[in-house]
Amino acid sequence: MVRKPAEERLKALFVKHTEPPLEVIIPILEKAGRGEQELTAQIYALEVSLIKGMREILGLKENDVKTLAKAFGIMMSHYGQKFEPIELSESRFSIGISDCPMIHVGKDVSINVKSKFCDLICSSGLRALKDTFGQDSLTASWDKSLIKGAGKCKVTFELVKNK
Amino acid sequence: MKNSSLFITVLLVAVLIVFTLAWLNMPEFVSHTDLQIVLTTSTATFGTILGIITAGLMFTQGRFSELSSELSEKSPEYITKELSIERIQSTGTLLLFPQKAYTQLTKATIVSEERSLYERIITKTSSMLVDFAVLLNLKLRQQGLSDSSLLVSEMGSDLYKVYKRRRKNIKKEWHLFKMVKQIVDVWEAPTSFSIEKENEESALHSDLNNSISILKLKENIDKSSANMFVEIGQTTEDLDSKISRISDKLDKDRIPQLLSQIEQASILRGRYFYLTLIFIAIPFLINLLILPQLSAATALFFRQIILVTSLLSIIGVIFLLLYIHKMLNL
Repeated sequence: MVRKPAEERLKALFVKHTEPPLEVIIPILEKAGRGEQELTAQIYALEVSLIKGMREILGLKENDVKTLAKAFGIMMSHYGQKFEPIELSESRFSIGISDCPMIHVGKDVSINVKSKFCDLICSSGLRALKDTFGQDSLTASWDKSLIKGAGKCKVTFELVKNK
Repeated sequence: MKNSSLFITVLLVAVLIVFTLAWLNMPEFVSHTDLQIVLTTSTATFGTILGIITAGLMFTQGRFSELSSELSEKSPEYITKELSIERIQSTGTLLLFPQKAYTQLTKATIVSEERSLYERIITKTSSMLVDFAVLLNLKLRQQGLSDSSLLVSEMGSDLYKVYKRRRKNIKKEWHLFKMVKQIVDVWEAPTSFSIEKENEESALHSDLNNSISILKLKENIDKSSANMFVEIGQTTEDLDSKISRISDKLDKDRIPQLLSQIEQASILRGRYFYLTLIFIAIPFLINLLILPQLSAATALFFRQIILVTSLLSIIGVIFLLLYIHKMLNL
């Protein structure tokens, strides 16, 4: 259980670093035909600030997968995303997500475009996790099932030791 | 508020159904003794319900006065310190910038999602601007100063009508807390991305932050919003610091809880009182009028009315339970 002062600091951190409104940004970028790099840079910067802030507030000093899973879970909770843990070990963790900002992107945007942005955003998030946890061998996969209309999307993070 | 409206609708529908069913399914013959028992029982039930509700009403009135005085006692401190003329004017003036900037941005955008976000911002800034104008008007009048046109002159005719209406709604000293709470509610950002995001009203602070992300991105893409995000970002920060201060003070003084309780008390002594009058007092009076007239000869004539009012007394018991539940939450 997080103590109250930490809770308040976390709340302030998440208010300060608001997640960009993808349901608005994606149609704009789709019409403009550019801007993906700027979006990924913005998301990367945001997530790095958030993860660093969270680690400081909660004293998450370890760089292992369990700490990473904890930080990721808190971030997801603060964004109000519905998820459930599937697997957690020393080298791997995976979760099932039943709601993510991408599914709030309008119906006018095609699945291909959504899929492209999903890759861009998740890659930025992965890069932010890698850099803040100093884990170069961290890999991630996401099956994009939510965009395709399934009820859950599986996201897996894994430390590839012999890379 | 929505729950109360739903309850009243359900109650009305239930009464209509009961009335129709009683009328249509009336048995051909009901004995005089049976009718007398039914009539006496339902009259006693109505009488008991009325007694309890009257006692509750007195309690509610007492609680309402208590809450109203507690809020009125707190208001001078807000009026002199938290809501000084300078603070109201400076916060109101800060709101003018986003209102104008987003009106221009709305005209320039072709993406519907973006336009609707900017329109939401305009609506909310306008609403806050009106509230600050009302507060400014109250303060100036209170201090015997002439009304300032600072914020009012920036309003269009529609917004001015809203201003006049809200100004009229401030009848008691504590009503200003409703307005201040309204300002805070429009402003404060929810802490999380909600699953019911599409259905719930987003906060202005959150909308402004979202728009800053967009403007920053557009500035990087095509320089279209030339540094606007910097100015809006600064204004947002200034507004947040001013409104957070008010919000913290409200929370510290338990104003939101007091307002919610006073609203409950107001519903109980208003809407519930009239419902009691219509659905309990009227059938009770009808029963009292029929009771002395009920003889073996008149039983047939009154039987339908007796059965309808007896069914209404059962609904009355349900109503009483709900009333007690509401009262216990005061």
